[in-house]
Amino acid sequence: MPSPSPSAIEVYNLTKVYRGGVLAVDDISFTVERGEIFGFLGPNGAGKSTTIKVLIGLLKPTKGRLLINGIDITKHPGEIKRATGYAAQETAIDDRLTCMENIYLQGRFYHLSKRTILERSAEVLKMFDLYDRRNDLTATFSGGMLKRLDIAESLIHRPRILFLDEPTLGLDVQTRKVIWEYIKRLREEQGMTIFLTTHYMEEADALCDRVAIIDRGKIKALDKPEALKAQIGGEIVIARFSSMDGRIPQALEAIRALPQVRGIEPKRDGAYWIIVSQDGDKLIPEIFSRCSQAGVSLESISLKKPSLDDVYLHFTGREIRAEEGGAEAHIKARIRMGRIRRG
Amino acid sequence: MVYLLSDTWFVAWRELIKFFRTRVRLVVTLIQPVVWLAFMGNTMRGLTSNPVTARALGTENYLAFMTPGIILMTTLFGGVFGGVSIVWDRRIGYLEKLLAAPISRGAIPFGKMLAAMIQGAIQVVAIIIIASLLGVSFKTGPAGIVLIVLIAMLFSTILSGLSLALSASIKTMETLMAIVNFVTLPLMFTSNALFPVAAMPSWLAAIARVNPVSYAVGPIRTLTLTGWDWGSILPGLGVILGLATLASLIAQYVFQRATTE
Repeated sequence: MPSPSPSAIEVYNLTKVYRGGVLAVDDISFTVERGEIFGFLGPNGAGKSTTIKVLIGLLKPTKGRLLINGIDITKHPGEIKRATGYAAQETAIDDRLTCMENIYLQGRFYHLSKRTILERSAEVLKMFDLYDRRNDLTATFSGGMLKRLDIAESLIHRPRILFLDEPTLGLDVQTRKVIWEYIKRLREEQGMTIFLTTHYMEEADALCDRVAIIDRGKIKALDKPEALKAQIGGEIVIARFSSMDGRIPQALEAIRALPQVRGIEPKRDGAYWIIVSQDGDKLIPEIFSRCSQAGVSLESISLKKPSLDDVYLHFTGREIRAEEGGAEAHIKARIRMGRIRRG
Repeated sequence: MVYLLSDTWFVAWRELIKFFRTRVRLVVTLIQPVVWLAFMGNTMRGLTSNPVTARALGTENYLAFMTPGIILMTTLFGGVFGGVSIVWDRRIGYLEKLLAAPISRGAIPFGKMLAAMIQGAIQVVAIIIIASLLGVSFKTGPAGIVLIVLIAMLFSTILSGLSLALSASIKTMETLMAIVNFVTLPLMFTSNALFPVAAMPSWLAAIARVNPVSYAVGPIRTLTLTGWDWGSILPGLGVILGLATLASLIAQYVFQRATTE
């Protein structure tokens, strides 16, 4: 029995192993509340798209219990499909159809009547500022317009929960910000629940109420962006020593003894992150003097406030790499294919 | 069930819109049979002036002999390309979009097959008009022509079904095209579409007799040249109907398997 006001999405112990034996998602659990913008942050291949595809019924879960609006997705796949909208990572727009024809077909595939589609398409196309271009072939659209149309299409059946897989992948910074505004408006004006994946830190930071950091199929951390940043500490002093010296551990020990220091993390690039609760700038002279007391010389020392990048590095031990090159190469390949086909 | 029909129609609708929108393609598909009929027909005319070969052909008009062959050749290529579009849909992510919608899954292969059938029917009607203008008279008249179009549509389903099944498992256009070319031309030229079986060397005749293209050519040729000879129409029609059903089932099975993970 669904509870009176269930959460939008509930995932318990989801595991997905592909036919070839690849473990894409490894025993994850999380809950998304109604009206929330929830983000999955992680690099390509972390299991983000797989999670979305399982939730909308494109893939079958290997293990786990999944509820959308309190309804078990494996038992009522049709109902789930009607309650959710999905815009894939690749904008799946048929470029030889007009904007209107694309959205019309989408409406038909959700079994809406012609009249309903005409009414609602006008509404969503206006919202995404595409109404004036509705009768143009989408082959003439820019990447940002295609993405907007794709999201507009996913709203034609008025879903309460929207899944956006990498909504701004391959778009330039300006267009990305425009898309963010549309996403925010959907939540503000319609109270929609939005689940999105991204590997852009700024995106997770700018949009999401809560962020789950996902790496190699596991959730490493889940909280509000602010809380995640607070977890690694108030500020970070980054220290680099001039040479690999046997006395470094001694110096670190002395620094760790300072009351404001919460911890020290060695990084792969040879730097040490000294995580301090506050007033990192005032602590720098003290760190400096402790190092000289230990007989170790510093090459550089700097201070920074933690960003989600640091959070990511902190929880996964790796830096997230925005694979822009990969995405762009992919889009170019698509354009080439398009030309050949139209030839 | 209602949804299966409407979903199938809208999958086909998308293909048809694109078919009519791509004018160059439309013109080429209509010009191609003219070229075949005019050039091949004229080149081979010598055959019919020889009484022995004329008997083997069953007519004194090579064009009339060849028209059924051209009809099937056109539907053969049309059908094969009907399946290919799914490789493209997978590439641009459109297939995933269809699968994410609450659409009946069977509607995707059925819609593609329906689109190929309708495109084929349009082309066949065009060929029949052109052939008539070039002096071919269809013995069985309008009713026979309707049956010819239906047989061609069933034949297109065999090819679109098999190419769909193939496309469901093949991910790149290039591989698929290579396989398609490897199969279609030999299939055409080892049939009785352009050349009478009676005039073939015995090894080729043996192949031609079991070639499914010949089964489709048979009834169409009878309807064109001879008349309502059911004894020669029904067996071929039965085989084509059976193969079309089988190909649709294979397409459905392979497609469902390939899209469930």
